[in-house]
Amino acid sequence: MENLCLQPTTSTPLINLDSEHGILEISGESYPENSFEFYAPIKKWIREYLPVATARIHVNINLIYLNTSSTRCLIEILDDLDDAFKKGKDIQVTWFYDEENDRAAETAEEFKEDITLPFLITAVKS
Amino acid sequence: MKDIDLFDLKESLKEKGVLICFVGQFSHIIIEEIGLAIRKYLETEDVRKSIVTDVFAVFIEQAQNIRNYMLKKNWTGNPHLSSSIISIGKQGDKYVVSSGNVVEKADVDAIVQRLNMVANLDKMQLKALFKEQKRKETAPGTAGLGLIDIARRASESMLYSVREIDNNHSFLSLKVSL
Repeated sequence: MENLCLQPTTSTPLINLDSEHGILEISGESYPENSFEFYAPIKKWIREYLPVATARIHVNINLIYLNTSSTRCLIEILDDLDDAFKKGKDIQVTWFYDEENDRAAETAEEFKEDITLPFLITAVKS
Repeated sequence: MKDIDLFDLKESLKEKGVLICFVGQFSHIIIEEIGLAIRKYLETEDVRKSIVTDVFAVFIEQAQNIRNYMLKKNWTGNPHLSSSIISIGKQGDKYVVSSGNVVEKADVDAIVQRLNMVANLDKMQLKALFKEQKRKETAPGTAGLGLIDIARRASESMLYSVREIDNNHSFLSLKVSL
């Protein structure tokens, strides 16, 4: 399966979906002009990848800020990952946040609340 | 000379505590640029990072709500309807993000009802509402989750005013203190 890579912009994150190494990375800023349009190909890629993935999948999320429409999109992606986990896929989500930003820690906790798959919240020194 | 002298306007904005202000049609690039300017300004002020995030987030949600509403109504290119205002300022020890935009009179009741509903909830109720609505589909431009997010980050209840500007339109002003 072909990898999906998008370079970051002022309002969109870096996307690196690597099927070969089982690494799904989203990092940077997320307040696109149209979040649903931006995340549609990412969601599609992950939906196609999950059934064929054989090894452990590492999902690394490091978002400085995400707006509410990005939150919606990310929830849909995490729900898909959670479903795959329930069906036996080996998935580890790691959510990185700036240790000096309490608000970013709260955001991470709220994402974690709704899902069952392994979800590690890691503080990063800025 | 008088009509090219903006000193009074500048002083009046300064008196109101305005740090950054934009008037006109919001484009995505303008929203990005103002956002970057806000962050840069707050970083030089040595503000706590969670406050920077909150001010930035409230600005983004307000500006994107206005832009989405304008797009939904097809008002792009009609300055009478699309021209909006947003300002970021400081009053006492609080940061204030204020915005104003034209809305259709037919929408005013629903908007006011929603603003009142959100403004009357405490932080725990807002968190529960956010959680309940984040999985619900809402049409773009309806400011579903955005308004709840703004209220969650605000340190005081949001204030608003509505005034009629012609037979079919009103001007909605919204003030959020953090």
